[in-house]
Amino acid sequence: MYSLGEPVYALATPFSPSALALIRISGESVIDRLSPYFSSSLDKKESVGVSFGLLKDDGGSKIDEAVAIIYKKGHGYTLEEAIELIIHGSLPSIKRALILLSKIGFREAERGEFTYRAFMNGRIDLTQAEAVEEIVKSKSMRAEMDALERLEGSLKRELNGIKETLIDIIASLEVYLDYGEDEVIDDWVFPEDRVGSIISRLKAMIATYSSSHLYSDGAIVVISGRVNAGKSSLFNAILRENRSIVSEEEGTTRDYIETEILLGDIPVRLFDTAGLREAEGKAESEGIRRSKELIDKANLVIEVIDSEEEREDEKTLCVHSKSDIYGSRGSFSFSSVTGDGLGEILSEVEKRLSSSVSISDSVPKIDSQRQKDALESALGDLVYVSESRGLSYDIIALYFQSALEKLRILTGEATSEDILSRLFSSFCLGK
Amino acid sequence: MSDFEAIVIGGGHAGIEASLALSREGFKTLLITQNIEAIGRMSCNPSIGGLAKGNLVREIDALGGEMAHLIDASMIQYRILNRSRGPAVQAPRAQADKALYSSIARKTLESERNLRIFMDTVVDLLIEDGLVRGVVTERGNRISSDVVVLTTGTFMEGRIFIGEYDGEYGRLGERAAIGLGTKLREYGFNVGRMKTGTPCRVNRDSIDFDELEEESGDETLQPFSFDYDSVYRPHLSCYITYTNEDTHRIIRENIKYSPLYGGKIVGRGPRYCPSIEDKVIRFPERPRHQIFVEPEGLYTNEMYLNGLSSSLPERVQIEFMRTIPGLRHVEVVRPAYAVEYDYLDPLDLYPTLESKILKNLFIAGQTNGTSGYEEAASQGLVAGINAAQRLKGAEGIVLGRTDSYIGVLIDDLTLKGTKEPYRMFTSRAEYRLKLRDGSADQRLTPIGRRAGLVGDEKYERLLDKLSKIDEMKDYLKRNRSKTQNKSLYDELKEPDVSIFSFDSLQSYSNEVKREVELEVKYEGYLKRQEIDIERVKRDESVKIDSDFDYDKVDGLSSESREKLKMVRPMTLGEASRISGLRVSDIALLQMALRGKRHD
Repeated sequence: MYSLGEPVYALATPFSPSALALIRISGESVIDRLSPYFSSSLDKKESVGVSFGLLKDDGGSKIDEAVAIIYKKGHGYTLEEAIELIIHGSLPSIKRALILLSKIGFREAERGEFTYRAFMNGRIDLTQAEAVEEIVKSKSMRAEMDALERLEGSLKRELNGIKETLIDIIASLEVYLDYGEDEVIDDWVFPEDRVGSIISRLKAMIATYSSSHLYSDGAIVVISGRVNAGKSSLFNAILRENRSIVSEEEGTTRDYIETEILLGDIPVRLFDTAGLREAEGKAESEGIRRSKELIDKANLVIEVIDSEEEREDEKTLCVHSKSDIYGSRGSFSFSSVTGDGLGEILSEVEKRLSSSVSISDSVPKIDSQRQKDALESALGDLVYVSESRGLSYDIIALYFQSALEKLRILTGEATSEDILSRLFSSFCLGK
Repeated sequence: MSDFEAIVIGGGHAGIEASLALSREGFKTLLITQNIEAIGRMSCNPSIGGLAKGNLVREIDALGGEMAHLIDASMIQYRILNRSRGPAVQAPRAQADKALYSSIARKTLESERNLRIFMDTVVDLLIEDGLVRGVVTERGNRISSDVVVLTTGTFMEGRIFIGEYDGEYGRLGERAAIGLGTKLREYGFNVGRMKTGTPCRVNRDSIDFDELEEESGDETLQPFSFDYDSVYRPHLSCYITYTNEDTHRIIRENIKYSPLYGGKIVGRGPRYCPSIEDKVIRFPERPRHQIFVEPEGLYTNEMYLNGLSSSLPERVQIEFMRTIPGLRHVEVVRPAYAVEYDYLDPLDLYPTLESKILKNLFIAGQTNGTSGYEEAASQGLVAGINAAQRLKGAEGIVLGRTDSYIGVLIDDLTLKGTKEPYRMFTSRAEYRLKLRDGSADQRLTPIGRRAGLVGDEKYERLLDKLSKIDEMKDYLKRNRSKTQNKSLYDELKEPDVSIFSFDSLQSYSNEVKREVELEVKYEGYLKRQEIDIERVKRDESVKIDSDFDYDKVDGLSSESREKLKMVRPMTLGEASRISGLRVSDIALLQMALRGKRHD
């Protein structure tokens, strides 16, 4: 269970041999409590300070040389008193350092606890908290950049801009609801331009989800084709070609094999299917059903053909196998024996994957399902009011309010007073 | 043994409801007023109701209050506002015969068996062991009681301003109540100053009606009360005119004589009901402002100039008024004036309107920083109901903001406080689709019944209405449309189909038809809103003990902690509506409360 204030620590870098390791510590008076085990003074005069010294265990013997970055209360990521301890990344040093911290009485932090504390202490709002989580989870630099950008608040800024416009629209409408037709005589005009612009911005942000998603969760590429068309040869050739293999394991069914590779910046889950032939036994048809499902889910299907016609579409890339025997045919062909043509195929796959997602630079990207759901729901409200004719003002207001509320929930706030204030500051009202 | 079980201080719109609620629930009640002639007097505009306010009046009626009966018996014009802007925001407003309204109010109080009326001025409270025990009056009477309801309106340390003139009055010509405000400050109440204003009353015979536009209101008058189906009253018109550049120039030239702009008035006035000088200064680009000329009653020549509230000197008032079409020969009967008065910070109240500072003291009306007859009466009723609950030893009755405008009003006041006189608006209510004026009885009469203010007859009218509504919906579902291949119910959902075009429903009252039409046409929207309401009610169901220790909640920001300690919300929902409280602090509180329940 998360808590606040209680001293916690976590190894921020992977527990594996490396040049340096970073240990994060946060909680009440962690500086004083660590001081006895550090050879230099952990100076607290500055709000953020750096100290170099020796980290020693409770018996007084040296663990490692260390750099301690000290954050006084209110200055670190969690806004609690905090230390970032950088030591050499050898496994024994890391282990001894962690044992020391737990002996001092610090608790190992739960996953996400630092972010939780940052949110709880008011350091970041919900969208930012999610971005931090994404950095931790991100599988590639591109996603990390997206996450960083959002941490700086570009999503928050964009949403705030849209919220402001919505509040303006609602305020202008509420005048007609708060005052009688004898006081506010004219009719309210639906602000088509402003609503249209919000709608297109929301759509653009939602569209970034699939692309952001591609970079953080990866793309699914499925190799399919008839029996003996050369699917497995292609699969294995790609494994040999691509040095960024992350894992290789048997599929959960006997019908496809999966591996993770990195194409450019895109993490790709590559599947080799068993071929979609007519089922003979029951297990076989189950496998075929799964293969079909996989193809439906795939971002791209590589269709391996040996002699038959190409059946290319948006989602399908046809490649000819056995070019060492039959020679080059069609746009793409390869030989699993010589390795010819593999590079072209892989770069075509990368090109298709990145072009399948149109990335608009004018709007910030989103990358959690929660954000997407909220934006889509707000979008739905706005599309409904702008497309329905003859709605009365109270209903129109209901939908604008609802859209606004969804954006507010998205940024982790909820107030409603500002509408009235704006209403009064911009309109001359009252008998 | 106390002299009375309850004392109500003040006989305005709040005091009327509070004293009737207490006495009708059987408690021996004393109403102390400075002037029995002034009971139920309408200090400002001669109308009751309007947008959101009309809903308040009907809610008061649904709970068993009196205001709707008073206006139904004294109206001289009726109008449903914003008919074209949607059912959730339309509301009734009636022009009142002020003198008649006031005398019916007085007669109603006088007829109440358990209620006594006494003329005196309260200058101090009797306090024992942190409980209010009664009052001390100007003439030295010490009167004891078990509960006290305080409704001082604009009279507590009231002072009126006209140009350079000022005097100790709560209304023009009516003495302020001096002394109590000072005592309350000594007792630790947070007392502040607020300001409001009222326009000129002029002689009807001095108006050139041929220069005015006439506004006659709806042809059919409808009752505010749910207790009967129709009202019959004489009918008078209102009139409209406009200010012009000349008017504005005179106001600008004389602005230095305004006590507000000159700095004599410190209290905050309402932004939504600005004086004419405010409008001219704040909106210099507006070439004209609308003025409504409204009758004050059947048996008076006074006319009310709605929109011309001012505290400029009388000679300036006459000068600028005489630039306005229709008013070029106008003669003033009562000048416009501003009034400044003591109010008590409503953040010091529980949602039952009991003071957090002094137990058994309930506070209602303008004393809590509101404006408007309807807002005052709503609070008076709630204060009366809860003072009676206290006398019965029963739990307080809190109206939720999802169920009523009254709930919104009190929730806003007690959780957010107010910096200016608070007026009800439809936009303050998140769930206004549900808070339509016609559904007030369905929402609140069962609560009034529980409080003991709704008698059998009223309650049976509600049950009858509910069964008629069900019956009609059932009929509409079972019968096919004559023109289309669908049920009447589905046909009614179409925007341009009116329930009044269905001949077969003639036996039903218009009120039932209107309700059914709305519920059918808005079914989808109402369901949608109901989902939000359920979410809010979940937070509302998480109770916070009144002695909950916020110091034990780890990680709360000190600012939020202080706010929570001050407001002492009764539920998590209330806590979440305290202004300026961080979302993360609410999350923490929520977790702390959750943790507690697991213990």
